Amino acid sequence: MAGTSTVVTEQGGEEDRVWTGGCLCGGVRYAIDVRPEPISFCHCAQCRRQHSHVGAYTGAPRAALRLLNDATLTWYASSSRARRGFCACCGAGLFWEALDQDPADGEPRITVTVGSLDDATGLRVERHIFVDHKGAYYDIGDDGVERRTSTGEVVA
Amino acid sequence: MSGNGNGREGSGDQGQALSGGCLCGGVRFLLAERPDEVVNCHCGQCRRFHGHIGAYITVPRDTVIFDADETLTWYRSSDFAERGFCGRCGSSLFWKGDGKSEIEIAAGSLDQPTGLQTLRHGYVEGKADYYEITDGLEQFPGSAEVE
Repeated sequence: MAGTSTVVTEQGGEEDRVWTGGCLCGGVRYAIDVRPEPISFCHCAQCRRQHSHVGAYTGAPRAALRLLNDATLTWYASSSRARRGFCACCGAGLFWEALDQDPADGEPRITVTVGSLDDATGLRVERHIFVDHKGAYYDIGDDGVERRTSTGEVVA
Repeated sequence: MSGNGNGREGSGDQGQALSGGCLCGGVRFLLAERPDEVVNCHCGQCRRFHGHIGAYITVPRDTVIFDADETLTWYRSSDFAERGFCGRCGSSLFWKGDGKSEIEIAAGSLDQPTGLQTLRHGYVEGKADYYEITDGLEQFPGSAEVE
């Protein structure tokens, strides 16, 4: 497996670990009670605008995310089907949440910017997505990570 | 568009003026001068602000012309700098050091394509554990500013 490292495996007794994170100013703080999902780097134009570069997201069941402080958390409807959460005081980008989640598809998820997590995350990167929408001002680099287009096609 | 035929994407010497803004359009700007390059920042503050690494150009402040700034909000992120973002859509846009004549603008806020190239990585000492730098560009433990 790519990204195999020394992190404790899911069978290895990390039941007690809680992943915490938040914005720059502390107006938003959260805890995730389960191991967050592997990371996707998103090269879409919306992430590029909002994060002003590549988006980096992990995810978790919505029920596993506990907001410890949400005094400054603000939501922006970035499309008809999703909203983005950020801190209105310091501008840190925090969450992306689909609005049209069907309960029949399983428990609702929320995605969380990896950069908002407190170090060390112990998380690994799973894939690059929307690579066909990538900005031309940077290269992804030879990282060996799977790359997918906006249609889900695996291109590397 | 310059139309001079030699402005290959990434050559950095095109005559095309750059413009940019946030996701919702509450902040829009034009740049009267073209920057030379994009420099990535791996510091912990950029990571929180952008949700991942920062990627910045640097231009003289007086060459940034705002068409819209109604939602532009400033946050004092340290005792020597402020960060600018859109208070409506949360786009993370600017870094402004106190007393400096220049402003740093996050490259993803620019309208694409830019013709710019990323050249260096700065503050790699602050890099997080969840990614590696694999593009072969020069890395600096602290500031990547060059004279």
